[in-house]
Amino acid sequence: MHKGALPGGEAMTKTMKSTTLLIVALLAALGLIASACSSDDTADAGTTQGPQIILGAQDFGESAILAEIYSQALADAGYDTRIQTLGGFRDISMGAFASGEINFAPEYVASLLEFLNDNAGTASGNLSTTLAELQTELEPLGLEALEPAPGVDTNAFVVTAETSERLGITKLSDLANLDSPIKLGGPADCETNPFCIPGLRSVYDVDLSGSFVGLDSGVVATALGNGEIDMAVLFSTDGRIASENWVLLEDDQNLLAADNIVPVVTAELIDAYGEAMAKVVNAVSQKLTTPVLIELNRQFDVDKQSARDIAAAWLADNPIG
Amino acid sequence: MSAIGEFIDYVTTAGNWTGPKGLLRLTVNQLLVSGIAVVVAAAIAVPAGLGFGHVRRGGLAAVSVANIGRALPSFAVLVLAFGVFSQAGRGLSIWPTAIALTLLAIPPMFTNTYTGVRGVDPRIRDAAAGVGMRRSQQLWKVEAPIALPLVMTGIRVSATQVVATATLGAWVGFQCLGTLIFEGFAQQNDGKIITGAVLVSVLTISIEVALSKLERRLSPWATTPSGGPVDEPPDPTLASPFHPGRPA
Repeated sequence: MHKGALPGGEAMTKTMKSTTLLIVALLAALGLIASACSSDDTADAGTTQGPQIILGAQDFGESAILAEIYSQALADAGYDTRIQTLGGFRDISMGAFASGEINFAPEYVASLLEFLNDNAGTASGNLSTTLAELQTELEPLGLEALEPAPGVDTNAFVVTAETSERLGITKLSDLANLDSPIKLGGPADCETNPFCIPGLRSVYDVDLSGSFVGLDSGVVATALGNGEIDMAVLFSTDGRIASENWVLLEDDQNLLAADNIVPVVTAELIDAYGEAMAKVVNAVSQKLTTPVLIELNRQFDVDKQSARDIAAAWLADNPIG
Repeated sequence: MSAIGEFIDYVTTAGNWTGPKGLLRLTVNQLLVSGIAVVVAAAIAVPAGLGFGHVRRGGLAAVSVANIGRALPSFAVLVLAFGVFSQAGRGLSIWPTAIALTLLAIPPMFTNTYTGVRGVDPRIRDAAAGVGMRRSQQLWKVEAPIALPLVMTGIRVSATQVVATATLGAWVGFQCLGTLIFEGFAQQNDGKIITGAVLVSVLTISIEVALSKLERRLSPWATTPSGGPVDEPPDPTLASPFHPGRPA
């Protein structure tokens, strides 16, 4: 009896001991992480006083890279910054603004406008009018768009270099001269998206609805690379356009919307930091052209580098100020 | 309009049923790719299961290998198969989907066939040998008929999974009922999504019911008291429901 009870008691003590150890270890780890984070954020001398700038990054590479670039540039200028990762949908990122979880987000002019006005279709290829409408929509939300970047991330109609040469197409208006419609592959919303098949029909007089195949976004580029489709709908900043040497057909009649990168911030942030902060952000935006975005996305998608490293390297090569 | 209203609207529009992307064509494609996968998988899994079950050796390893097909997410297999076929210019065809579904269909068929043959009462095997049957006769005249209900169950389980999973083909450009769901999501068209989901469900349940009936017809001795098919391998000690003389 006694013999049997003793090992049991010992085991119990051991379990308790290891549990306590585990808790202590966890707490220590948390403490380390916390201190590491805070030292990271406040390392710069002469931190500007005011609210912390919390940048929302959505779940795709470009958003993560842009958030890192703005965050690091602002941190270098003495601001206290932090990145909050969000899901991939705008209702999440806009909700995060409303609840105060973020106060800065890299956004896209036309797409954000269409989200806020319930797809009213007022976004166009004209950046200044589209931006003005966006500002009107943002104001009641206590938000403001800073200067948009020249870089545009929108639907891109892409063909291989070989197809471009064989059919003699370099711009979207060339599609109208083809004898038979070429095979188009892209996301399934293309059939109804005003900036895809319906837009090609109305602006360029080319009907590709009969030769369209909807594909998962992960396999569109594969299908194009292997010649299974003649033309792919990709994002204009897709890194594979550069790495595969594909041809992005020029939108010569302005079908596509002005989806320029634009930093959106809360009015509270503007009130706290004013022009000084806007100057830093605008200086960054100015340098974000479409080719720059393609290259940054290539480093993320093809070279598999982290958003943080990509941003740090780019800022080192392109000092702000 | 409510989602149900949109669904009724979609299925009552005659134009949605015809043409290259009509509901009829999509249903036929869903059945076609499923049929190819089930037949190819059966041609591989049933003979293999019979063989391993008969020699009563290496079965566990074989079951483990077959089960890899279960553990791999079908979507991952589909995208890989698409990449491979695409290099040969055949990605936008029925084959990537057919291959992914075949891998999905093999494990239940193989495992059930193997278990069915392996689980034959040793006394029956002894008796078969005792009356002078050769090894092949033992397999075909005794073991296979006894295993038949389980083999059929494996085929039914596989076929049901395959018909439901064929939906994924839409994501790599294979036009099937999944196309309605795939496009419906992207185009925020609830009527399309629900139509796709309902038709896939109806098709899957129909296949399940039809194969259950076939199963009972082929092996009436194997039904449970409630009349349903036997899904689990029978306890070897209960193998006596076998009536000598009924099958074969």
